[in-house]
Amino acid sequence: MSHGEAVELLGAYALDAVDGDEFTQLEEHLATCPRCRAELDGLREVAAAMGNSVEPLPEGLWSNIASRLPERQPDEEPPAMPQLAPEGRSPFRAPPDGRRRPRRSAMTTIGALAVAAAAVAVVLGISLVRADNKVSDLQASAASSSSAVTTALRTPGHRVVDLDSSSHAALARVVVVPSGQGYLVSSNLPALGQGRTYQLWAIEGKRPISLGLLGGAPRQAGFTMAGSTRPSHLSITAEPTGGSVVPTGPIVATGSV
Amino acid sequence: MPQIDEFSDAQLVTSIARYSEVALAEVYRRHGGAVYGLAKRVLHNPAEAEDVTQEVFLRLWNQPDRFDAARGSLRSFLLAQAHGRAVDAVRSSSSRRLREARDAVRTAEAGYDLQHEVWDLAVADQVTRAMGELPEEERRAIELAYFDGHTYREVALLLDQPEGTVKSRIRNGMRRMRAVLTDAGVRGVDA
Repeated sequence: MSHGEAVELLGAYALDAVDGDEFTQLEEHLATCPRCRAELDGLREVAAAMGNSVEPLPEGLWSNIASRLPERQPDEEPPAMPQLAPEGRSPFRAPPDGRRRPRRSAMTTIGALAVAAAAVAVVLGISLVRADNKVSDLQASAASSSSAVTTALRTPGHRVVDLDSSSHAALARVVVVPSGQGYLVSSNLPALGQGRTYQLWAIEGKRPISLGLLGGAPRQAGFTMAGSTRPSHLSITAEPTGGSVVPTGPIVATGSV
Repeated sequence: MPQIDEFSDAQLVTSIARYSEVALAEVYRRHGGAVYGLAKRVLHNPAEAEDVTQEVFLRLWNQPDRFDAARGSLRSFLLAQAHGRAVDAVRSSSSRRLREARDAVRTAEAGYDLQHEVWDLAVADQVTRAMGELPEEERRAIELAYFDGHTYREVALLLDQPEGTVKSRIRNGMRRMRAVLTDAGVRGVDA
């Protein structure tokens, strides 16, 4: 295909309106012609601008996507995460006074946040929960390699976070290493009834971020926080099976990071 | 280090390459509605549009390196993916579709109409204006190709015009749109 013929076709190609032999020949030409590629990029942006109308996302679509992400092997290294913060400024370091914030403020905050986040979720139609089976696998993988927990406890800069009930009963212990990998290492959480699951949240600044479902009777579990997540608290709520986009149940346990 | 919702799209894709599900979730939050919206607009079928949306995000997870920030925005990349898949699905039942479309074209009213809620009203405004400024025959050819998923040859058949004419009209219309949008300062359109 000549350059001139290719140029004639670029508009249609940007709209996915070229097929058959012409399509093949045009792709061959594009592979060797930076000028055509540059023009195509511009035309693709035009197409995108035309197609840029947002629909509310169907509920459950994200869960379907998340549940289809390929599992990582239990022995595999946790994925490399962006650095959380420069050395010495770990977001998991205790606040200067090292004291836990008044529980009430955490509770109030999460309530207000839940409302705000729920409003956003409604507007955007987002659903950011993991599927239950996904988290079960996380639990299994963490349990099968408790050496991972041992390793975490030996990692410089790791933080131990105790999550307590409002009556100060110790309900869960979590270890987080600076890479963002975390483990629920022990739990006294009472078993929930059918159709309920515990969900772990990072409370960060203005919002709760789901870290995953822990199941109805958690023991050990692994989770990953994005490198940028700097929670002030970790909290556990009881939610319907399948989890929630924002906390809907009461805070069962919380701890400051 | 900024929070995840302060990451640029390119940074998010880098995190996805490191298996950050949170980064994928953030991309979904930012662009999922547009991906789903375009797929639904082309397919007229919510269930099929969901399938396309899933495919687009799973592909981004599996092959994040296919996105090249130097060649355009993440949104246009994702929309191009969504459009290609939606069109493939539409064309799998093409002969019946073409017959139905021919009837529809005869009765279709002229005039570009943005029926859907639009993510960025300013851009949508400019796009509506740019489309409105196109000569009718260019606009019609582009719409039939892009929103109804027809090849330009099918468009020629539908409009009863020579293929070469339709090909040129699509190209001229697209270039005209780009010029208008670039003048209007719509980001990412200037090549």
